[in-house]
Amino acid sequence: MDIAGVREIFNERLIDLDMKSVNKREAIEELTDSLYKEGHIIDCKAFVDDVYLRENEGQTGIGNHIAIPHGKSDAVKITSIAFGRTKNDLAWESPDDEPVHVVILFAVRNVDKTTVHLKLLSQVAMALADDATLDKLLKTNDKTEIIRLLSQEMN
Amino acid sequence: MNIVGVAACTSGIAHTYIAKEKLMKAGKALGHNIHIETQGTIGTENKLTANDISAADVVIIAADIKINGTERFTGKRIVEVPTSVVIKSPKGLINKIQVELGLT
Repeated sequence: MDIAGVREIFNERLIDLDMKSVNKREAIEELTDSLYKEGHIIDCKAFVDDVYLRENEGQTGIGNHIAIPHGKSDAVKITSIAFGRTKNDLAWESPDDEPVHVVILFAVRNVDKTTVHLKLLSQVAMALADDATLDKLLKTNDKTEIIRLLSQEMN
Repeated sequence: MNIVGVAACTSGIAHTYIAKEKLMKAGKALGHNIHIETQGTIGTENKLTANDISAADVVIIAADIKINGTERFTGKRIVEVPTSVVIKSPKGLINKIQVELGLT
């Protein structure tokens, strides 16, 4: 995937490297708010409710201090992702039981005319299978590098 | 070993693809032949061929939901795990399967 591709669903304004959230719900709400400000979500509460529906079905922590909550929702106008990092230890259900510092929120339209955006999301998910990529996402302060890492250009 | 498998998760958006990619990376790193099909919201991708399945020593089903097409694996050794096991320890899983099947 090229970086232009991932930019269809992601940009620097949807990256916050210093989230203030101290728990899972606040982090999800903080990132939801950034998607709302970009015009990608039309109803924050409805979206957060749908994210929690998915949370109740199984853990979204993927280990290495990273979590990928996601919601498929009528409240989503444009399928996209938001990235947040915090120094705070967020308690989150994860396979390694470690606190979470990076939250990547996937917002998915209930009905998409094409699968292009879903395909992009699946490619971002595949980028997250690489431990070296996860380490860099925890450390880098370069937002463009984060976009590049999630588009697998470095791998 | 020749490994085939299917990955599928509840919403078919993220875990399916992380699990697939982790299995592929781990399998290749450990020197196995591996093919993993994904069944997600966008449908089935990297569909297993009859040849892949026929040559396989084991079928890994990494899924949190019921998958389609299990009849293809009749007569095969099948290992079923949730996607979380693959996401946590893909190499550990493959090594354990190899030992249990006596295919070292």
